[in-house]
Amino acid sequence: MREVLLKTEGLSKSFSGRGTLQHVLKNIDLELYRGDFTVIMGASGAGKSTLLYALSGMDTPSLGRITFGDRVISELDSDALAVFRRRACGFVFQQVYLIEGMSVMDNILAAGLLVNRDRKALVRRAGELLRAVDIPEEAWKKFPSQLSGGEAQRVGIVRGLINSPQILFADEPTGALNSQTGLDVLDTITSFNRQGQSVVMVTHDMRSARRGNRILYLKDGAVLGECDLGKYVPGDRERHEKLSAFLKEMGW
Amino acid sequence: MGKCFLIARANLRRGKGQTAAIVALILMGAAMLNLWLMLSMDYKRNFDRCHQELNAGHVTLVLNGRSEELSGFIDDILKTDEQVTDYSIEDALCMVGSFAYNQGEVNTELLILEKEAALNRSVERMEILEEGDVASGVYLPMLYGTDGNLAPGRQVMVTIGGHEMRYDICGFLNSAMAGSHNCVMSAILLTVDCYRELEESGYAPASTLVSVRIRDKDESEAFEAELKNRVSSRYPDIRTVSNSYILVTTSRYISQMICSGIVSAMAFFVTLIALVVIASNVTHYIQENMESLGALKAVGYTGGQIVGALLLQFVGVALLTALAGTGISYMLFPGVNRMMIAQTGIPYKVHFLPGPFVLTLCAVGGTVALAVWLSSRRIYRIEPITALRQGIRTHSFKRNPVPLDTARAPLHLALAMKTTLSGMKQNITVCVTMLAICLVVVFAGLMVENVIVDMEPFIQLIVGETADSCINVNVGSEEEFRRLMEENACVEKAYMYNSVNVTCGEGEGVILLATVSEDFSEVNNQNVCFEGRFPRYENEVAVGAKFAREQGLKIGDEVRMTASGEAVYLICGFTQISNNLGKDCLLTREGYERIGTLENVSYYINVAEGTDIEAFHRETAEKIGSGANAYINVNSVVEGSASVYVSLMAIIVAAVLLLGAAITVFVLYLLVRTLLDARKRDYGIMKALGYTTGQLVLQTAAGFMPTVILSVAAGLCLCSWIINPLTAVFLSGIGIVKCTFTVPAGLIAASGVGLAAFTFGTACLLSLRIRKIVPVNLLAGE
Amino acid sequence: MKKQRLIACISIIFAAELLLLFLFAARDDANLQDTVAVNEVLHAVQDGWGKREGPGVLQDLDYVVLDTEGNVLYGTRRGLSESINQAVMHRDTVLDITVDGRVTGKLILYNDSVEYWRRQKRALTCFFGLFLLLQWGICAGYLLWLDRSILKPFHKLKDFARRVAGGNLDMPMEMDRRNVFGAFTESFDIMRAELKKARKAEAKANASKRELVAGLSHDIRTPVASIRAAAEVGAALAEHGGGMDCAALLGTVRENYAQIIRKSDQISGLVNNLFTAALEDLERLSVSPGLMESRELCGILENADYLHRGRLPEIPDCLLWADRFRLQQVFDNLFANSYKYAGTQIRVEACRDSRCLRVTVEDEGGGVREEELPLLKEKFRRGQNAGKAEGAGLGLYISDYFMREMEGGLLVENGEKGLRVTVVISQGGR
Repeated sequence: MREVLLKTEGLSKSFSGRGTLQHVLKNIDLELYRGDFTVIMGASGAGKSTLLYALSGMDTPSLGRITFGDRVISELDSDALAVFRRRACGFVFQQVYLIEGMSVMDNILAAGLLVNRDRKALVRRAGELLRAVDIPEEAWKKFPSQLSGGEAQRVGIVRGLINSPQILFADEPTGALNSQTGLDVLDTITSFNRQGQSVVMVTHDMRSARRGNRILYLKDGAVLGECDLGKYVPGDRERHEKLSAFLKEMGW
Repeated sequence: MGKCFLIARANLRRGKGQTAAIVALILMGAAMLNLWLMLSMDYKRNFDRCHQELNAGHVTLVLNGRSEELSGFIDDILKTDEQVTDYSIEDALCMVGSFAYNQGEVNTELLILEKEAALNRSVERMEILEEGDVASGVYLPMLYGTDGNLAPGRQVMVTIGGHEMRYDICGFLNSAMAGSHNCVMSAILLTVDCYRELEESGYAPASTLVSVRIRDKDESEAFEAELKNRVSSRYPDIRTVSNSYILVTTSRYISQMICSGIVSAMAFFVTLIALVVIASNVTHYIQENMESLGALKAVGYTGGQIVGALLLQFVGVALLTALAGTGISYMLFPGVNRMMIAQTGIPYKVHFLPGPFVLTLCAVGGTVALAVWLSSRRIYRIEPITALRQGIRTHSFKRNPVPLDTARAPLHLALAMKTTLSGMKQNITVCVTMLAICLVVVFAGLMVENVIVDMEPFIQLIVGETADSCINVNVGSEEEFRRLMEENACVEKAYMYNSVNVTCGEGEGVILLATVSEDFSEVNNQNVCFEGRFPRYENEVAVGAKFAREQGLKIGDEVRMTASGEAVYLICGFTQISNNLGKDCLLTREGYERIGTLENVSYYINVAEGTDIEAFHRETAEKIGSGANAYINVNSVVEGSASVYVSLMAIIVAAVLLLGAAITVFVLYLLVRTLLDARKRDYGIMKALGYTTGQLVLQTAAGFMPTVILSVAAGLCLCSWIINPLTAVFLSGIGIVKCTFTVPAGLIAASGVGLAAFTFGTACLLSLRIRKIVPVNLLAGE
Repeated sequence: MKKQRLIACISIIFAAELLLLFLFAARDDANLQDTVAVNEVLHAVQDGWGKREGPGVLQDLDYVVLDTEGNVLYGTRRGLSESINQAVMHRDTVLDITVDGRVTGKLILYNDSVEYWRRQKRALTCFFGLFLLLQWGICAGYLLWLDRSILKPFHKLKDFARRVAGGNLDMPMEMDRRNVFGAFTESFDIMRAELKKARKAEAKANASKRELVAGLSHDIRTPVASIRAAAEVGAALAEHGGGMDCAALLGTVRENYAQIIRKSDQISGLVNNLFTAALEDLERLSVSPGLMESRELCGILENADYLHRGRLPEIPDCLLWADRFRLQQVFDNLFANSYKYAGTQIRVEACRDSRCLRVTVEDEGGGVREEELPLLKEKFRRGQNAGKAEGAGLGLYISDYFMREMEGGLLVENGEKGLRVTVVISQGGR
């Protein structure tokens, strides 16, 4: 049996607004495993992102329990969650969310120095990661606004990985990118996953979903079904058909 | 107009907090402005009203002598003088005297009048303000009733020429020209029986009181000098005591002047800060709403209409607030009035003043309009298309201050530095505020050190020379007195320090109070002569700096002095003594003797610590007998008159410090708000990355600190440097040209540290709003 | 911005220079003698009259003392005017020395203005030299900067503009971000990039529009073609109608027309697909389940168990799919039954599995006979032990109906000590 990294029990999330209660997540029982590339799919409004942020400790669930390793993170207060996030989780957002006033390097170090005091080692690691995602050294001093969308997203991935998180959470990382740069970003994430990095990615794009080895389909705040695709092999026709069939079954 | 109104209303609704802060600042500013205007425009005029009502004289002259011939002589002079419009000659008693006042005692020329006569004079009428049901006793000037110790029905001990008299207090009186020790003489009224008794005892010499009204009150000083000259040339032996309208108006309104000076400074600063805040608000508004402004322009609003809306919004708010502010000033005024009356001794009734009201509204409205207009001119230049596209903002060339990969500082400090270096406008606001606050702090420190904790420097400045005791002896007994002083072990130092009147200049000249000493290196207050040096030779004189400035005299010039003879002197230095409002000079004894002779001489005496001065006086009196004329316990006299200033200063310092704190909090509130609004997204991202609220709060607060610390340090140094000249400007009206207050470096440094800590704490508290920024909101907002 | 600052800077320096010049010109240059110092010297000399030595240099003044015959008594140093004539020539100050009202000698104070003027001149020269140097430096620096940051980039820009005009949109503009001009040149480059992008986008949009039109025309052409074919057949049949027998003819015609109808249906179906949605008639009046949080059950149970016979169980957190009002009725009924028929302590338990939440209510009244169990949930059925207790026998039937409507269920069985009813509440999202 694979090692369980993250486990939810009866996870529900409701938002109240204008007097009514809106239930976005409903009784989700889920286990995520180490080393997996888990993809959460679903139509927009299905609660994919909400699930991602609840799992990653960015937000607290209304009901239910989330256990990360042996810690129950659903009971932590916001500061304890922040401390938890900086060590255990890395994030990649659809809008990238680099800090405008800081250079590429500073953006990465602002996350890294929170955990690691060894500035030199950190700068070295950041350099390695940046090279690994094909950001040339000249660009390290640039500001986010001077980067192309794809570059910015890859920098975002480096920032997410700088603290060697247990899980990298990605929220539609290719959503704001055109197809070629999107592919580059996906390749980057896939290659890190091959090296053992656990990834949870939310997407509503089939091309992105194909990269995962485990697909969860979310509908109306509940997991409708899941599909095990096995390790990603580029250009695997059968894999594509299996995924298509699954999604068709789910009503995609 | 209607369109402008719509935009303005929408803007106001959106920024409720900002509006509230601006409202608070303008409220304070307008209240102070109005208070200042009321103090400076009407408070002094009140004296004229009182003067007019009592038909008071412009020159008061008391002659220690009473005879038909004397009155006839005076009568003739006044009758024939064209300047004189009205006058009155009365019998009175006049002698130096003292009584308890304000924990000390007041020592002044007492002008003693019979009650009914005084109330019915044609010129210089007195009026009774408060009356008990005591049939026989004394009426004192109302000033002495303000400390609460003296009240109708109680007893007061008045020392008249060395004799203690005990009277019941019947009530309090108001007199324009003789209502306070500040106007050279204080009038006290006795009921008929007491008056007769005193007159018969002979303790106080029978005198003649002359009150004169003249055509042009600005000539009062010259007329006083002339009248005195003519009397003393005819009756050289008669001692005269006199004052003039100009002297009295100035000296009775010293505290009003200081207070309105301080209030004006505070009003100026508060208004300035309000304007800076409004200006930055407008700039911020334009930046934030570039798109919607572009949209408004695109649908056909002109730049003028949008600016008009902003003007309408801010000026409207400012005017309404200023209206409320003036209301507040009327609430504060009674308190200030009470404080003032304790010094002026003239009742003042608070009433609505349209002049200051209108001026305040105009000033606030005008400056706010100017600030808004200046900072919103950008709107005219906005092109709808570029605004909608947000220009080519993404291609700006920014610098990356404090790169994290090379900076040595710890992470949070480095991030705080980034904040500091990227917000120039914020730094300027902080800097201006801190400079203003520094001035307040330094002023408070100066006052605490020099007035509240140790009055000595302040007293030296205001009173001039102080010692422990002052004894006036006849010239005949001088040798014996000197010998006595030398023999007495208690006496540390006894030196001549005698005041006489001399006239300076050609023609009528100006009466100066000449202080005569044998050797000025012996006097206690060496600061009196602040430029040049004390007179050393018989042909040298040091004159009051204010007087010298008025007459255009420089060091090295020669002046002609007249007493009974006349001689020319070389000016060797400038003095500042506020006693006679700057009309004074210093002469050596030899120098004075070139133009006059001294009948009696005052000696100032320093005694050993722990000596009972009263006992010392009794002892000396026994030995020297009738050779001495008067004994004055200088300390108690000084304390009596100075404690008014001390309490006044304490209140001012407290008020000023409170106000400073309030301003700091307000400005920080606005800055933190603006910062948080502008960097909401960044804070969201950082929280997502794992920064805790505490870390971000500290970072934000620390971001202010470099500017705060630098400007506080610079501000404190600068203010410490300029505070003395600045105070001198405040006090220039009373003859002070140069202040030499000690600047308490330790205290000021400590308060600087305190100020920085206070700012940090406040910034932390204010940025606790970061708690409400949740990363999920940021993400959900997409 | 920078330019304004520079101009302001230079203007300020010029203004300062001018001001200083004016001040210098307008200065009251009278190099006056310090009369107080002179007075002091005079007094010192008078006080020390008759002694061999003078009081020495006082107040920085050099002087010579002569007696009435013009003999030098003493001087502070050599080289001073030593007679009245010399003193007048040198514009020195000559004063009488009076002792006891009698003039006893002359005091000659040395005039040092030559030295004074020399100092003034030197200071002035240095000062203006410095200012001129500063100005020269600023101007030179500014010109240099002007050349580097404006003229050179302008030349570059000229070539660039020529290329863009020639239609070459692929060559990016080189730019130097450090100079002020960079922003300007970059905006040109942005213009180029945008132009290029716009061209591409235009081409792409045209292509996709064509595709759409092609697809649509294909889709609509197929049914229309069928209709046309059928109509052609009908037309042909009508022409050769005489040769065929009537029944076959009628059959074919019918078939043809059926075909036309079918195809028309197909078209209208296509249209319908676009505009209509299926209507579902869901008239479930009584039960309207929704999502509710499981902790609301506590309140419901508390309300139902008004005699407090049971203890409230720990209810696992989850979202339930239920109708709050109806659920309350179900539990009310269960507890009322227990009160009526058993009257003992009640055990309440709750447990959650992946699909539903089960709430078990069990009393200690001995239960019912095994064969009665399936009948309990039926209409108008009551157990043997109902006895005289009032009731219509509808309670469990309705409860069961409610629970089924809520996608849950009601299980009735005999427990260890009495009747055990399990309310199965479905979880949301299943």
